[in-house]
Amino acid sequence: MKAFNRRKLVTASAMLAVTALTITTVPAQAFSPKSEVGVSANEIKLGITIPMTGAASPGYNKVPAAMKAYFDYVNANGGVNGRKITLVVKDDQYVPTQAVAKTNELILKDRVFALVSPLGTANNKAVAASVNPAKRGVPVLFVNTGFSGFADVKKYPTTYSLLPSYVMEAKIMAEYIKDNFAGKTIGLVYQDDDFGSDALAGFKTAGVKFATTVGYASGSQSATTAAGWVTKLKAANCDVVILFGVSSATAAGLGTAAALKYAPQWILGSVGGDATTIKAAGVPAGVLYNAVGASFLPSTTDTADEYVSLFSGIYAKAVPGSAFDNNVLVGMNSAFVTVQALQAAGKNPTRKSLIAAINSKGSTFASAGLLPLNYSASSHVGYNGYWFGKYSPTGDLKPDGGKYTLYTTDSGSGAVVKSTYKRPAMPAKGLPN
Amino acid sequence: MRISHKSRLISLLGASALVAATLTIVPAQAAAVGPLCNGASPVQSCQGTTSDGAPYVMMVPANFNGMVALYSHGYRYNIDIPAGIPIVGGYKITNTPEPIPGGNPTVANYFLSQGIAVMGSGFARQGWNLDSAVSTNVELIETFKKKFTTTTKVVAWGSSLGGIITQTLAEKYPTLVDAVAPMCMADNVAAELTMAGDFLWGMKTFFDPTIKAGNYSAGALGNAEALGDIVKVLTVMGKLQAGVASGAWPDTSSPAGKALEKAGIPSRSAILLLGLMAGLPTQSAHFDSVSGPEGALKLSFPLAVSPALAVLENGANAAILAILATQDVELQAGGTVFDNSSTDYAARVADSSVIFNAALSGNTAITAMLGVLAASPRAKATASAKVASLAATTGKINVPTIMMTGVADPITPAGATQRIIDKYTEQYAAEKDAARKAANRSGSYRTPAKKLLAIWSVTPKSWTKFDAAGSPITTAPAAPGTNHCNFTTANLVTVAKLLVTAGSTGSLPINAATFSAVRKSGGLLIDPDFSAPLLKYYGN
Repeated sequence: MKAFNRRKLVTASAMLAVTALTITTVPAQAFSPKSEVGVSANEIKLGITIPMTGAASPGYNKVPAAMKAYFDYVNANGGVNGRKITLVVKDDQYVPTQAVAKTNELILKDRVFALVSPLGTANNKAVAASVNPAKRGVPVLFVNTGFSGFADVKKYPTTYSLLPSYVMEAKIMAEYIKDNFAGKTIGLVYQDDDFGSDALAGFKTAGVKFATTVGYASGSQSATTAAGWVTKLKAANCDVVILFGVSSATAAGLGTAAALKYAPQWILGSVGGDATTIKAAGVPAGVLYNAVGASFLPSTTDTADEYVSLFSGIYAKAVPGSAFDNNVLVGMNSAFVTVQALQAAGKNPTRKSLIAAINSKGSTFASAGLLPLNYSASSHVGYNGYWFGKYSPTGDLKPDGGKYTLYTTDSGSGAVVKSTYKRPAMPAKGLPN
Repeated sequence: MRISHKSRLISLLGASALVAATLTIVPAQAAAVGPLCNGASPVQSCQGTTSDGAPYVMMVPANFNGMVALYSHGYRYNIDIPAGIPIVGGYKITNTPEPIPGGNPTVANYFLSQGIAVMGSGFARQGWNLDSAVSTNVELIETFKKKFTTTTKVVAWGSSLGGIITQTLAEKYPTLVDAVAPMCMADNVAAELTMAGDFLWGMKTFFDPTIKAGNYSAGALGNAEALGDIVKVLTVMGKLQAGVASGAWPDTSSPAGKALEKAGIPSRSAILLLGLMAGLPTQSAHFDSVSGPEGALKLSFPLAVSPALAVLENGANAAILAILATQDVELQAGGTVFDNSSTDYAARVADSSVIFNAALSGNTAITAMLGVLAASPRAKATASAKVASLAATTGKINVPTIMMTGVADPITPAGATQRIIDKYTEQYAAEKDAARKAANRSGSYRTPAKKLLAIWSVTPKSWTKFDAAGSPITTAPAAPGTNHCNFTTANLVTVAKLLVTAGSTGSLPINAATFSAVRKSGGLLIDPDFSAPLLKYYGN
């Protein structure tokens, strides 16, 4: 027996062992000679791990529905080379060990072609270490985290970032502070893990001096712990406080500060200003009012933006009654980029051809992002910049002066400069060719 | 490592219709004796001792078909343990032969009903006995062949320390065995002692500076020191368990440990860090690190508490062996064997500290704990050269080999099996390369046959159960994939069948029937892409 055949047999049988299927129960599929796991004549199967239940789920749990809404829109318009995209959703509850278990299920039981938009720094690092998608050759598309490490092609050869890194965000935020809050006393509350350490690295590179820094362990954020933050921030006489954490930390921090009549100028990291999460925590979205925030996508209230206009329409039909917020926009934009990657992978896509396609063509993919994608064989960096704005009383982030002023930088020591990038026009009907 | 129990073996053999023999422990002798066979039918029992004094048992069915299966048992402590010692109290050194795993009658029935003989030794010495056990097995195989001259095939298998004995036998004496099955295989002694030593040193450094954690005296005093360490370590673990919710540190903690407590770092984070740096699994018999009780702790329990409880549960099992194995190898080596003089514990936990960041209480806490470890006095081995001279596996696969191990085994981590897989991957690539070069000359390419099949005993999706009050239940049977050599009878029979087929045919049965059998066995996985972390000794 030739090695190739034996290998295929081993692999196929291993999958069966896990899925408790018998060979005869595998649906008959018109496999081409180059058929790939998760790809049939009619379907491309993708998988996502994300918190759908539990304390961390509000807001994030809208992402899969948003992605499905766009995939269904593409499917209704012919799919990708005639194949419909399906998305298998697994709830990891924002627990790294759950992310490992669920990702194993996606790969071994559901036999997905690729992972797409899995969320969380710790979760993705846990999956990389324990499931090892790179060794398996499984693409991990557009991880939903800004941890700079995932752009390391050597360490994570099958993983692609989409969000700008937290290092970039901190550097650009430092520039914003210099421009708008020079001479003020600055405080920092940050998540005391790789998410926060990325930010600390960025602030250090930018030379920001903090009057006090307060780290909190992931998962420990609560009104009780936030009261401790406020005490320290007050003691340091902070005029401006950066809260670089998840939205549940924002809810705890801003909600508690409001209750304690502490009202500095808040600057929120891009992942910490989600009104949906804040409301789910029992804190009025109004606590966000006038806080500074950042984004790389257009404002969700910017209905003049062609992507916002199209995506909000698609989403309203797919998920009636659900608010079109930044979680939805992020999810639909990820799906939009994913579709282009699948198209670029060829008529009979393989995991290898998908990776090759992103490396060679990813920087030309259209997207809602107001900054360019930076993919190449040596770079898995997604977007590379931000604009700043302030939150409305309803928790919507709007650009300062009604105009996007975009800054760009890298995750190293590169300077922060204004971006001159002009986003290309959206493909007709939002359907990439 | 796996402990064999004489009483269980005897009772099971008595229950087996096919096994009529009653075992008698044969005293250690200086010259080979036997085999003395009772001539019973349908299964005759033979016993004797090899020239090193190791007692053995052979069970040979009347319809003997020429194949014999040699089983090597796991680690047995090399000192008697007084009844008052927790968990292992009352143990007496035993060299009772173990021809089948744990005396399992179903496994015995499988072999014997096929006309296959089984045999096993109790070995000449207990403790870490790789060198002597391999020599014993070589002699036992020759003895069997001489007695039963129609022997045509020899297959060997073993558990835990018996796993590495089996692998080493196949590496050093490939002509003596036709196929092997090392199960829940131990790693080489240096790697195992590093895992043990790192954990004990950490316990000493954080929680009780009076723990010796090695450098035991010779003789009775050394035994007392080791047993004293067991009591101290288990006492500390009891206090850590009691303080899991509050974060309180044991009252015996070191000044540095107390300073960490004062800084607000819970003791559960410290014990988790020790588990991670030693390489203990973060899933255990009753803690899956993914489940939480309904209510407020649904998320925070798996995120912040469960991994520490898993390390505690695994650590309690591992620490006893760690202490007694360290003492045993120190005696053999004539000096101390644990060396962390240049260990970078921060590098050890670089990845895992991200995954378990919340349970470790964040980067600041991690940095503080690692700072204590970095500043604490290190151990320098005085007998490294002697340890290095002890037998060790190279990972060379000479004969068809089936491996089975639990993915969360706390005593012989899955990484021990992974190391063999990795070595064989290199070996197979070289064999293919050689075949290609040969094909260039002959014009005919033949893919080399694969000689290694790895079977993983995997954990369920989740298994932690909670009572009505939300407290975890720890009385249920250990989940598959956890605990040491935690295989079902069906698992063992599955491996036995594969072993017999491989031994008969000279090649691994890699086909649909095999995968179907493995699947039906329950809790087992064949996944060529699965990769377990190597033991920390190897620098990951």
